[in-house]
Amino acid sequence: MQPLRIALTKGRLEKDTIKLFQKIGYDCDSVVNKGRKLILPIGNGEIEIVLAKAADVITYVEHGVCDLGVVGKDTILEKGESFYELFDLGFGKCKFALATQKGKDLYGGYKALTIATKYPNVTRRFFEDKNMDVRIIKIEGSVELGPLIGLSDAIVDIVETGSTLRENGLEVIEDVCPISARLIANVVSLKMRKQEIEALVDLLGKEVDA
Amino acid sequence: MKKNLMITPEGTKDYLFEECISSGKIQKKIKDIFISRGYSQVDTPCIEFYDLFSMEDSGFSQETMFKTTDNRGRLLVMRPDSTLPIARMAATRLKHLNTPLRLFYGQSVYKNNPTLKGRSNEVMQMGIELIGATGKRADLEILTTAIDCLSATVEDFRIEIGHAGFFNALVERLNVDPDTIEAIRSSIESKNYSSLNIILDKLPDSPQVTAIRKLPRMFGGEEVIEKALKFCNGTKAENSLCYLKELYQDLSILGLGDKITIDLGIVQQTNYYSGIVFTAFVTGIGDPVISGGRYDKLMSNFDFPTGAAGFAVNIDYIAEINLKDRRKDTAPVPKILVCAKDGYEIKAIQKTKELVAQGKNAVFSVFATYEEAKDYAENAGVEEILTVGE
Repeated sequence: MQPLRIALTKGRLEKDTIKLFQKIGYDCDSVVNKGRKLILPIGNGEIEIVLAKAADVITYVEHGVCDLGVVGKDTILEKGESFYELFDLGFGKCKFALATQKGKDLYGGYKALTIATKYPNVTRRFFEDKNMDVRIIKIEGSVELGPLIGLSDAIVDIVETGSTLRENGLEVIEDVCPISARLIANVVSLKMRKQEIEALVDLLGKEVDA
Repeated sequence: MKKNLMITPEGTKDYLFEECISSGKIQKKIKDIFISRGYSQVDTPCIEFYDLFSMEDSGFSQETMFKTTDNRGRLLVMRPDSTLPIARMAATRLKHLNTPLRLFYGQSVYKNNPTLKGRSNEVMQMGIELIGATGKRADLEILTTAIDCLSATVEDFRIEIGHAGFFNALVERLNVDPDTIEAIRSSIESKNYSSLNIILDKLPDSPQVTAIRKLPRMFGGEEVIEKALKFCNGTKAENSLCYLKELYQDLSILGLGDKITIDLGIVQQTNYYSGIVFTAFVTGIGDPVISGGRYDKLMSNFDFPTGAAGFAVNIDYIAEINLKDRRKDTAPVPKILVCAKDGYEIKAIQKTKELVAQGKNAVFSVFATYEEAKDYAENAGVEEILTVGE
């Protein structure tokens, strides 16, 4: 039997997921002391962990080269297409929010807004739902600069504590949606390996709810 | 401007040698099955009017269709599916024939997929449409034909059956607006338990809400139907469940065991499905290889209200699976090269034909001299050179 292959988003989600796997009784030493390896067996080898960047987790699961994946809802909303979203793992909590300079009346007047963001699809959908035409500019990092140096009227970005915003004189004017880590599954894997996946999901579910 | 002279558009490719052989073999097998079941072949145009696929409930979004215009500026698309064109054909040119119509097709469909996803924009599909028949016998005819196609072409598969009427009956009694229904539907389709629960938590408790909450997990063997029956007592949804149970039990005579499963969470966006819906999966392929179902409602859109059902097989996936371990990646080479001396060309061609008729792998040499032929034979690995003269 081929091991069940799970793609994890490298970094914090990886650490939280591994903690969860340890709690339900898997030996995860290979991941804890991984060196530079990218494919790591855990437990008795019945599960293989693949470490990847968030967007790649989705790609691997969509193509069925990984059966399951752990990825943030932010990436799912921005990149997601065809897979099953099985489970809210409850960690990696934050939110998408619309923010601009403190005290600014963003919706006043009739000017078409310019929004800077790392998440153009999320931003487009958010404003489409409001029936608003906006100009979206994709930025690769430090999106907060947008309104500060005059590139955009506001930003849509991930907000955790809000301290970066505050330090730069920005404030959230509207929440877009909450975010947390999700367990996703390939459409065919869930059907062909139903028992294994359901057993694992049940174990993880009990641990998350506890 | 740089000319795109040497590459094919994204999502397309040239099919070479054994890829064509594998695809051809699969197509032949499936075609034989369709013909033995009494289906007749039809071809529809590659380009159709956009209007055909933009009907309400057709489930094709305009972003995913390749479009062009005709000489009067009307919008055309490269067909994204064959069922709608065949429904159009049945409702017009075939309207006065005796039903049921048993039609089959083998043709490519086109989809403009998002860029850099590694998906094919051109897919070879074969399928059947059984038009003018409803009821269990018609559904069994379709399902067993699909199973025959899979049994003949792949080693391990799952075919899962659901019923569009089940979900529709459940949401009908919720008394919620269409947007909420669509949100519920898409959460079940993506088996997104968390978002489904968020929507349902806002609704008052009812047997329907309890049932819908469980839907994403309602797939597996016959026990799924038993479980679902418990919370659907006395509702319209019960009818669909009992019908599914009957089909499942009938199909169990085939002895395919867990290859046939039930999924009550199949809720396709293509609203045109009204009865059974089914998809088939194969290990190693990340998408369904067959999808189909009953689409009685659709035919009314063409002023031809009648029962209809069918399915499409993705030939490319099945050909790929069959090729996986057999790919040689070498060009085909003949065993015998037949060279003609000057003036004996026709004689050599006739000799080649004789050899081929005896079952030998021979070709007529088109090189001007014997030396060139010899060089080629050595480099390409031809076993024998035969010279024809005198």
